[in-house]
Amino acid sequence: MDEDTKASHLSVVVDFSPTYWDLSARDPPENDFPLSLTAFLSQFLAFLNTHIACRDENTLAVFGAFPGKSVLLYSSTDPVSPSTEASMNANAYPPFQVVDSTIAQRVMKELDELEQREDEEEAPSALVGALAKALCYVNRITLPSSANSKTMANGFHPGVLPDPRILILSVSPDLATSYIPIMNSIFSAQKLKATIDVCQIYGPNTVFLQQAAHLTGGSYIFLERRDALLQYLIMSFLPPPSVRRTLSVPTQEQVDFRAACFCHKNIVDIGFVCSVCLSIFCQPLAVCTTCRTKFPIKTLQRLNAARPLLATANSNGRTSSQNLGVGNDSAVDGPSDQITATAQSVETFLSPSSSTSHLPALN
Amino acid sequence: MPSLHLNAPTQPTSSPHSLLPFLQSQSQQTLNKLYSRPSACLSIFRLLAPLQQQIIMNLLWLESTISSSTMSAWVYREEKKDYDAALSPLFRLHILATSPIKLALNGTFKTSMRQALTGGGTTGSFGVPAPSDDNNLPMTLDGLDGYALERWETILHYMVSSGTGQTSMRPSKDVLFLLQQSGLMVNFQGALQITSAGFQFLLQSPHAQLWELLLQYLRLAEERNMDLVEVLSFLFMLSTMELGREYSTEGMTSTPQVAATHKAILNDLRDYGLLWQRKPSARRFYPTRLATTLTSSSPPLPTSTGLSSGPKEGFIVLETNYRIYAYTDNPLQTAVLNLFVSMKYRFPNLVVGSITRDSVKKALNNGISAEQIISYLIAHAHPQMRKNNPLLPVTVQDQIRLWELEKNRLKSQEGYLYTAFTSPADYELVLNYARQLQVVLWENAAKRCFFATLDGHANIKNFIERRTGGNA
Repeated sequence: MDEDTKASHLSVVVDFSPTYWDLSARDPPENDFPLSLTAFLSQFLAFLNTHIACRDENTLAVFGAFPGKSVLLYSSTDPVSPSTEASMNANAYPPFQVVDSTIAQRVMKELDELEQREDEEEAPSALVGALAKALCYVNRITLPSSANSKTMANGFHPGVLPDPRILILSVSPDLATSYIPIMNSIFSAQKLKATIDVCQIYGPNTVFLQQAAHLTGGSYIFLERRDALLQYLIMSFLPPPSVRRTLSVPTQEQVDFRAACFCHKNIVDIGFVCSVCLSIFCQPLAVCTTCRTKFPIKTLQRLNAARPLLATANSNGRTSSQNLGVGNDSAVDGPSDQITATAQSVETFLSPSSSTSHLPALN
Repeated sequence: MPSLHLNAPTQPTSSPHSLLPFLQSQSQQTLNKLYSRPSACLSIFRLLAPLQQQIIMNLLWLESTISSSTMSAWVYREEKKDYDAALSPLFRLHILATSPIKLALNGTFKTSMRQALTGGGTTGSFGVPAPSDDNNLPMTLDGLDGYALERWETILHYMVSSGTGQTSMRPSKDVLFLLQQSGLMVNFQGALQITSAGFQFLLQSPHAQLWELLLQYLRLAEERNMDLVEVLSFLFMLSTMELGREYSTEGMTSTPQVAATHKAILNDLRDYGLLWQRKPSARRFYPTRLATTLTSSSPPLPTSTGLSSGPKEGFIVLETNYRIYAYTDNPLQTAVLNLFVSMKYRFPNLVVGSITRDSVKKALNNGISAEQIISYLIAHAHPQMRKNNPLLPVTVQDQIRLWELEKNRLKSQEGYLYTAFTSPADYELVLNYARQLQVVLWENAAKRCFFATLDGHANIKNFIERRTGGNA
């Protein structure tokens, strides 16, 4: 089977944070192009239908990120509950009806449940949880399917992997505490050769998702004309990799490579990296909190002495990144350094496969 | 960071679906009528190449036209050729309105495609589900699969056994007529005989076989003055139906003429095994897997082997000593293998034979090519064989090809021999002229003669006459 006729898999992670969807739906003085959750859902479902329409074998999984909870909303490998007679109609393609009704029902159910437990404060969206579930799902379907009779029944042939893609539709801003899990998800996506596409529908650019798209070869779109969501989705996120070689898709010109520190979960412009375990800190520490490596007092003193300088550079960097809306990875030249504890760790640090390439480095 | 796409080999040039050329030959009016049904649009959309699908999708939700240059700005320069090649069939299918500078979808197609994706409308083109029937139990999936398989294998088995003189179940008269029309079988002294096209047909994948017969059916429908739009949209409707659901024939007919057409189609497709009806006069039917997988590439038949036993996928083990073991009890598969294998033993679930020069020669004489034999063996290889790399033993593959080459040692070409030139100068002059035309097949200066192709003869003759006329 040649590549052109290969089925592709799409996992979609949707952020259903009620707070931000409410903000997103407000009228013009606050938003130039208001987009309510209902309007979003109808365009989103049309997009999903388009994906299934392209090939009968295309597979789909939809994960919803609700406050404090992530849910599998639909997956094409699950045995679908037989649709009732009443819901069938002669004017729609049965698989579309199944997708649309299943997703709409489950989203409504989750949102109703949320309403009922009003007492507590709204937890942030479990976007990372949903992303991790999506990765697990991709991992499961790309495994050799000999042992998995269910995927066989759905038209997968052994040895033919569907092109796995993950699309994240996000409305919430970055959650600094999720930096490490997001990074880990990115690495597993790289390992699975899954592309992560990101569409930021509402709110500011998210640093972490930008990095996710960049590092997995996907495209990141910050939605400006939110009334044209469907057109954006179709033009940028529908084409499978084989088509993307002919028709270009928008990619980022600049990526914000900043990382979050492990100690306070702040996004930092310049950080201090443990040369043994590569943990990132916002201030020099005598002992690495992750791997317990002790650093020489002399280095600490030198670093602390350099800090006032760093602080100004820091704030400059931040304002510039805000004003221009672009990332700042000039911190690579930062004067921070820490003497390495062992020779071996130097190698770790220098080896190109290490994950530090995007982190503030030191020399 | 390097890109993480899967290895990106050169773009394969997969051939377009066999139905598309047929559709392209239809008039714009016919196509427009067809495009007024969402199910037809969806099915045709599925048969297109991914790039074409993306182009359509990019245009689908735009209200205004877009200039061609804006669209091609999205194309990588080195891939421009592929893009242009993808566009031209869309124009010929009248999916894109013909205009040199603007790109826009055909209005009818656009409306129907939107309806297909979002639902709604009142066309009922995806089939009217029948209300549940209290008198009869619903048909099971297994029952439907069994029926489809039985119908389909009856046709194939009839074809394959016609050459050997064995008797097998005859398919219906209409099916036989269709086979004859399509040139897969010929009437030879009152009995139908399989042709070389028919032998090639047997070794194709079930999908290709199905479409070949359906295409033939469509051509026949044209000749029979059936409404082609109705036939096509009925097929497309079948392809979008849900397996295991019963549909009603009522509600989709408007005029008596259309109703008659539908009845004829129902009868024909029931013979091919695409749909099942409790009795011929029933007003409801079930589509079978043959029908619902028309526009997908999933296997159209539940298992290609017998219903009782046999593995789900391949069943053939081929060894380097040309021995072939086929784990099957299916008479059709045994018969197909018998086309190019000399059979040795037959057990309840196993057939043993070997590929010999004579058996392959016999197949080649029937018009089957070596490539077809090899691809059949690959397609039906036993899972155990799939561990090997290459899948088939190289010696056997090469030998089959060599046997084919043996047959093609001589190549005949019609032409004229020019001889008896009076002088070497004359000979050189005419020969040079013929060389310029690139029609010389063979030359011998010592004997002063050369051989040229048929198409060059008129020119050479004129040339010689002009020369001799000029000299005289």
